[in-house]
Amino acid sequence: MKTALLAAVLAAAVPAVRACGEALGADAQTLAADGWQLAWRAAPSPIPVGRHFVLDIALCAPAGQALPATLRVDATMPEHRHGMNYRPGVSARAEGQFRAEGLMLHMPGRWELVFEWRDAAGVTRRLAQSLTVG
Amino acid sequence: MKGALPALGAALTAAVVLASAEPMPSPLRDEDIPRILAFGPWPPPPQPDPSNRVSGQPAAIAFGRQLFHTPALSANGRIACASCHQAARGFSDGLPRGVGLARGDRNTLALLDLDLQRWYGWDGANDNLWAQSLRPLLDPREMGASLEHVARSVRDAPGLRAGYRAAFGSEPGADDERVAVDVAKALAAWQATLRSGRTPFDEFRDAVAHGEREAAAHYPQAAQRGLALFLGRGRCYTCHLGPSFSNGEFHDLGLPHFAEPGRVDPGRHGGIRKLQQSRYNLLGPFNDDPARGSATSTAHVALEHRHYGEFKVPGLRNLRDTAPYFHDGSAATLREVLRHYSELNEERLHADGERLLVPLTLSPQETEDLLAFLDSLNELPAGSAVPGGRAQVDEAVARDRTAPAAPELHRPDVVADHRKKASAIRRSRQQNEPEAPAR
Repeated sequence: MKTALLAAVLAAAVPAVRACGEALGADAQTLAADGWQLAWRAAPSPIPVGRHFVLDIALCAPAGQALPATLRVDATMPEHRHGMNYRPGVSARAEGQFRAEGLMLHMPGRWELVFEWRDAAGVTRRLAQSLTVG
Repeated sequence: MKGALPALGAALTAAVVLASAEPMPSPLRDEDIPRILAFGPWPPPPQPDPSNRVSGQPAAIAFGRQLFHTPALSANGRIACASCHQAARGFSDGLPRGVGLARGDRNTLALLDLDLQRWYGWDGANDNLWAQSLRPLLDPREMGASLEHVARSVRDAPGLRAGYRAAFGSEPGADDERVAVDVAKALAAWQATLRSGRTPFDEFRDAVAHGEREAAAHYPQAAQRGLALFLGRGRCYTCHLGPSFSNGEFHDLGLPHFAEPGRVDPGRHGGIRKLQQSRYNLLGPFNDDPARGSATSTAHVALEHRHYGEFKVPGLRNLRDTAPYFHDGSAATLREVLRHYSELNEERLHADGERLLVPLTLSPQETEDLLAFLDSLNELPAGSAVPGGRAQVDEAVARDRTAPAAPELHRPDVVADHRKKASAIRRSRQQNEPEAPAR
């Protein structure tokens, strides 16, 4: 399997790009690389420590590329070398629209939210965002 | 005395209070304030359990209390829930490991503030309080009963039968499992009312939140230094957070992996397996909430190798009453607990697990300060008040704390023998710790 990891976008939150994730609202966070754009919004927000939360996600493909039918979401705590104790379930809501449920960041500190999908060529694409909770 | 800036946010007000408190400057930092505030307010309101249709109902609570104190539910008719969960000991038993019909592998957990918990038991094998209440009834080493025995006990004893009728609005039926689960739900309804009282720390926390300088200044300096260490270099806050002082999850502390020589206690790994196989989890047929609204954790919990040897993060309220400590009861005192963290053997931690714990190498002063902080998490006696404080203890809980225990309490000879064995195990552990299993 070909794998191409996109550079992780670790910048602070920026306003959502109107062209992608507009429906998520103005407080959505955005990530972008190689023409792909991803917007996400958490509920509740801000994300609480030790409680389940939901992510609504919008993924937008570069011009001419197809959107994936599935998306994987995970979170890790790099300094502590562990992930979540829960495996999120991701469901497609519409084309390019996903909802991830069952996430929980059980410790305060820096976490990395990771989004992965395969493009039409079978290449694994990855975007990540660093966030601090608690 | 109220602060001068009541309209400002709590954190800012609190920072002003701490910065100007007399007579000594606080060792706490501005960035500690939000975390201090997140340890409260206390007490929180009761949390209803949608999976239990009698949760919060007075008749079920009364029936649950009755069931908790009767030995009739046990196989030999001599052991009650209250035999091991003694009110005067914070609803624990004071023993390193629980003793019912036989000796168990783990320390008896206290029963306060249970409605705030996500997982029950040291391994989190249950996701709800009624399933956790059914477990010891059926465990051969604890009360050793069967579903049939529990149901028959309720049907045959007029007092229990009346309690069932009052709680559930009908006579106990012919389905043994259904009646036994109802018994567990009544037990859960009562236990969920057991709320720990306010503590000196709560008085301090509220004083900070409300800008009450004089009240905040009553919190001892040693406790403030201990709190600063708890939030800072000690990193205790990473797992012990929120009003219960627990994130409700599971971690590996580098404790011995063996329940006894040659037999590993799998901890959380085994707990998740049991949970997923249980008929009584929140995804099962006995959940009274058709929407399964509280089953998110159960539906998404992940079973991973790193969960071997992980045990639940206990809350830190009222530790004074619940010695000994750790899942295996291997620390007789809180000083021993702190020594464990101070001299931690990193080689015992998971090779593939989290990298969080390092030896704290506490100085004698730091140890005393942490002990002072932990002591401030013990509730105030009923009716007491600290200067400037608002101490309140729920009278109903206070009454239950003094309720007489069940007939078959631990006999002095059994307790003495058990303590002797526990000391021997501790000595053996210190002298010759077996190698941890490969991970």
